[in-house]
Amino acid sequence: MPYDALDFYDVDSLLTEEERMVRDMVRDFVDNEVLPKIEQACRDGVFPDEWRVELGNMGVLGAPLKGYGCPGLSYTAYGVICRELERGDSGLRSFASVQGSLAMYPIWDFGSEEQKNYYLPKMASGEWIGCFGLTEPDYGSNPGDMITRAEDMGDHYLLNGAKMWITNGTIAQVAVVWAKLDGVIRGFIVEDGDEGFTAPEMKGKHSLKASVTSELVFQDCKIPKDRILPGVKGLRGPFSCLNNARYGISWGAIGAAQACFDSAKEYSLSRIQFDHPIASYQLVQNKLSWMLREITKAQLLAYHLSQKKDAGTWIPEHISLAKMNNVDIALEIARAARDIHGANGILDEYPVMRHMANLESVKTYEGTHDIHNLILGRHITGIQAFTRTLE
Amino acid sequence: MTIAVLLKQVPDTTAKITVSGGRVDEGAVSKWSMSPYDEYALEYALQLKEGGGGDLVAITCGPARASKILTDAAAVGADSLVHIVSDDSGMDSSNVQNLLASAIRKTGAEVVLCGKQAADTNSGSTGPGVASILGFTCVGMVSEVSMEGDGFVAMRTSPSGNEKVSVSKPCLFAFDKAATEMRRPNVRGIMMAKKKAVESLTPADLGVTMEGSRVSLESHSAPAEKPPGQKFEGAASVPTVVSKLRDEANVI
Repeated sequence: MPYDALDFYDVDSLLTEEERMVRDMVRDFVDNEVLPKIEQACRDGVFPDEWRVELGNMGVLGAPLKGYGCPGLSYTAYGVICRELERGDSGLRSFASVQGSLAMYPIWDFGSEEQKNYYLPKMASGEWIGCFGLTEPDYGSNPGDMITRAEDMGDHYLLNGAKMWITNGTIAQVAVVWAKLDGVIRGFIVEDGDEGFTAPEMKGKHSLKASVTSELVFQDCKIPKDRILPGVKGLRGPFSCLNNARYGISWGAIGAAQACFDSAKEYSLSRIQFDHPIASYQLVQNKLSWMLREITKAQLLAYHLSQKKDAGTWIPEHISLAKMNNVDIALEIARAARDIHGANGILDEYPVMRHMANLESVKTYEGTHDIHNLILGRHITGIQAFTRTLE
Repeated sequence: MTIAVLLKQVPDTTAKITVSGGRVDEGAVSKWSMSPYDEYALEYALQLKEGGGGDLVAITCGPARASKILTDAAAVGADSLVHIVSDDSGMDSSNVQNLLASAIRKTGAEVVLCGKQAADTNSGSTGPGVASILGFTCVGMVSEVSMEGDGFVAMRTSPSGNEKVSVSKPCLFAFDKAATEMRRPNVRGIMMAKKKAVESLTPADLGVTMEGSRVSLESHSAPAEKPPGQKFEGAASVPTVVSKLRDEANVI
């Protein structure tokens, strides 16, 4: 059966024709080049390099960035791209999120003219892969206390420390790494091959298996002076990247949920138990109608957020709500879809368990579900509850 | 050299078709797409354009909604777009061919590519009909075409073998399933397509007087429902199954 993207309220009719054409282009790529290969890629634990090439050819990397060879699309189009990619696999969407929002964006916003001209065209075309080093083994939700340090040695910087859970790390040519210089967080561009820099791959994941996850290790890593990002100091740097990535995830999660719903609907209509399709039973219909309800709400949330993003009237808390809600319901929908598939749901003949396992990561990365609740809690009450010290 | 490609918007092959009041209910079609054989024609038209230079004109005849496929054609590289706007579903094939031929004449194209038949009507008359009106050589069931010298070489592939033909201008190629699928657009193409104007023409603009259709559609009807499958169990039914496969299904 061809993919029937659930859009109960016809929210996509609100997209521009250009945005719908971008949607169709990415959907075609996912149908023809991702879905036939995704299960093998997961079994092998690899990100197929031809996907990088085609993402570059389509011109979707760094979608909302303008100039320097970047596409210059709307944030709405970027959201649609994320949704269609994640309908294929969260690992594929992660690749695009990291490349565009976490590696290209800081260079585009905080980099020097020379840095933008040098790195962005190659990253937009997919020739170079980027990664983003913020999280450390002991500092996840609390990046402000990071250990990684940069030292000014006069004619170069010396980087020491380690980053963990870095998507694309091992395959990247460019790493945007956040480290403290004289106690202040700064962004540094580290290149593959820099002395003292290694990026070993982390193995043994049960989630995002078709995505490369790595450590970044800096041992007296020498960085030329022109590789510091001049335009930003403090946590605002990495957080502004994360805002864009989280925005994309709020759309992406809908794609995973739509894929699970589509599979659950088809399966329940064809699976006969007690002489009738299981779709004819009330308990199954209840699950399907709940999925439809949550997906529709998530679509409206994401669409309205996209309009605020394009209009520049958003605040980070808007993004927290959408990321948290949409990933949360996507994960619950994946679990319910797995349930509807019965034992078949654990096989990679169906996409549901893969999406379910992926979404466990998506719920955790880019601000955990609970951290987004605390961000909203602070917004409501004016009291931050991240630390024991009350403001 | 100007290359023309003829495109038709049809219900997507995955869309459900319903018949009401003796006509296909077009309002109930959930998705409209470019006819698949036309996609092959467009891909090879793009290859000819890239191989030898020249302008590629995409032409469609249909109601307002049909301009979408012209924008899609622009996104993959068509240079100019011509929409013969006609809501008259009562036109017969020769009316459509006259309109298309006039539009082609207006562009000055010496080579025309199209699908061998549209996925909705399957009549297969547009290519040969247009070629006949224009006095162009017509090559049907084409699976590949390329430029050679001042003319073209086309491959006609069939299960019983391949035929390679060389053709001089002016000519028309009607495409069967081809060796290369239509390329996917990219963001740059999509953004350019948005800026590309569609030239809308009426039959009067083309100087075509619409004569009455000589073929008129009486009615559509849905195909008869397939008979339910038959189920046989146990070794004793093997002779019955074999005889049915041989005598009824004609597969052994």
